[in-house]
Amino acid sequence: MDLEILHSTVRISTPLILAALGGLLTYQAGMLNIALDGFMIVAAFTGVAMAYFSGSLVVAILAAVGASMLLAALMALFNIWFRAHIFIAGTAVTFLAYGLTALLLKGIFGQDALFTSDAIPTFTTIVVPVIAGIPVLSQIFSGHTILVYVAYLLVPVVAWALYRTRWGLRLRVVGEAPEAAATAGVNVDGVKFQAMLLSGLFCGLAGAYLSLAYVTLFSKEMTHERGLIALAAIFFARGSPYLTTVVALLFGAATALSVTLPQVTGLAPQLLQMIPYVVTVLALVAVGWQSTRARNKHRAWRFDLS
Amino acid sequence: MSAEAPGALASRRGLLDWLAPAIQPTIALVISAIVGGLLVLAMGQDPLQIYGVLISGSLVGVPNLMVTLQMTTPLLFTGLAVSIAFRAGLWNIGVEGQLLVGAFFAGLVGWLAPLPTFLHVPLTLIAAMAGGALWAAIPAFLRIKLNVNELVVCLMLNPIALLLTGFFAIHVFKAPGPTNKLPDVLETAILPQFSLFSQANWGVFIALGCCAIFTVVNNATIRGFEWKIMGLNPTFAYYGGIDVPRRALWAMLISGAVAGLGGAEEVMGVYGAFFDNFSPGYGFDGIAVAMLANFNPIGVVAAAGLFGALDSGGAVLQMTTGSSKYLVEVLQFLTVLILAARFSWEWLRAGGRGQPTRRAVGVINEPEPHPTAEEA
Repeated sequence: MDLEILHSTVRISTPLILAALGGLLTYQAGMLNIALDGFMIVAAFTGVAMAYFSGSLVVAILAAVGASMLLAALMALFNIWFRAHIFIAGTAVTFLAYGLTALLLKGIFGQDALFTSDAIPTFTTIVVPVIAGIPVLSQIFSGHTILVYVAYLLVPVVAWALYRTRWGLRLRVVGEAPEAAATAGVNVDGVKFQAMLLSGLFCGLAGAYLSLAYVTLFSKEMTHERGLIALAAIFFARGSPYLTTVVALLFGAATALSVTLPQVTGLAPQLLQMIPYVVTVLALVAVGWQSTRARNKHRAWRFDLS
Repeated sequence: MSAEAPGALASRRGLLDWLAPAIQPTIALVISAIVGGLLVLAMGQDPLQIYGVLISGSLVGVPNLMVTLQMTTPLLFTGLAVSIAFRAGLWNIGVEGQLLVGAFFAGLVGWLAPLPTFLHVPLTLIAAMAGGALWAAIPAFLRIKLNVNELVVCLMLNPIALLLTGFFAIHVFKAPGPTNKLPDVLETAILPQFSLFSQANWGVFIALGCCAIFTVVNNATIRGFEWKIMGLNPTFAYYGGIDVPRRALWAMLISGAVAGLGGAEEVMGVYGAFFDNFSPGYGFDGIAVAMLANFNPIGVVAAAGLFGALDSGGAVLQMTTGSSKYLVEVLQFLTVLILAARFSWEWLRAGGRGQPTRRAVGVINEPEPHPTAEEA
């Protein structure tokens, strides 16, 4: 039973990790992208729709990622070029995406809340050659769909790109000190645009995973604030890819437990679902506490209402 | 800032200047209506017919008007709440959570306190305000004492509020029966409804009263002036002798209290009990309303009315034609997105009169600190 929970933790954490990877790129580029849910829901819908019409999962995933990146481009357009406040743009894009997908769900499929069909192909689970032979590990890590493995493999890729490439350095400098980056000749807006597009790409994968692999259906607002949990993980880990992944896994475990635990102990699922948010607030408090103490030591006054 | 200019200057200005605050929202609305129309067209329906149903379904006939009024009322509270905090330079996007906590407190006091009406209604309202303010106090204190970004805290507190009130409504104080709700509010704490057509109730007068109060506060009191200066330039406000942290705290608390009142209105007037997860996102719609209103209390009345009309028209649309009420959500948030953009507003204004002023919406477009700036 315990292994079952770990197995589903890996599964449940996958969209969180994908979305968190997307979110942390924008975080590192100095943008607080709260539209992760919006990107995901659009991808989830496009994935299901294209899988239904084309019958091909590859086409569906490509379309899902494309749709998500299109929305990311819209967000970048408004935030970076039209200078809309990122928070407002993010909120608007998210709810726009919720509304648009619900509207199209009705317009294309004639459904109010949920669409599923036998015509949608499903992913086959992969038995990982080496791991499948090991007793405990096989029950946890083997037998997932391909997107799960892609998600976990993308973590080191993103970490490498961020910390070991020129592009990653530029991205981080743009986040830390945009003026310095601009002085050094970095195209700040261009880098931000790229980060936002990549955010769309990762969230697109997350959305496609949700509607095609995690379940095979689309329901309105089916992301259930996973983007927010991913954002919480990013904030907790302060944008470090590996740490973010670990935190996302922990949050995924809390979610997995909240599904199974009530049957075992009778503990309310709400309390477990609250964990990611509460933990993140506490982490923010701890960071604030530290920096405030440091500031007080140096007697610096700092209250930026910005 | 023409919306809040003192009356002495107003006499010298023309009608066009008077209407200036409405120009941006109108342009944004028209653009999003066109985009929405194209969307409807793409789905094989007649946009004119759809918009016709939206308008007639919200504004024609007393029943429809009553539904519009019902939909408008919570948006008045949440839109005003967002506006109050924003004018003081704070982003209160935790209005959703504050509304839920306020509603929960109202549900508790309304159910538990056996009092005569003239005491019970005010007490329940006060409890709701306290609940909303309590929930707003968390980001406010963290902001002021520890300089933690209130945006992120608010964002996290929304689901916490939903889950926590849900926990109490399902596991602690659950009313007998299948629905996840608190027991019904006592008769003495009910805000009477106007008609049988909808759940529009006396709460709308509380909302309008709040808007009136804050119009006066913003334009005729020292506090309102201080908040405005803080919103425009907190550093200037500080060196001008304004106690910025304390004013910010109070702006946030009052904003939360108003949001809590919105929750009370829903519990005491619309539902008659606190239901788990009752809010369809009034808090987020409030952000949209506040943006559309340019953070002006009178504008909030107009913007909330518009959004309420769209919502009630959307419900009719869903019932009578085959299309989805979510068209309305698309229209609403497309408008917000366009409004948030700073792209040709200055140019439009300059083209009109050649005197581009820094509008409130422009202020929020200042480059923001990096999310990890707290470490510095």
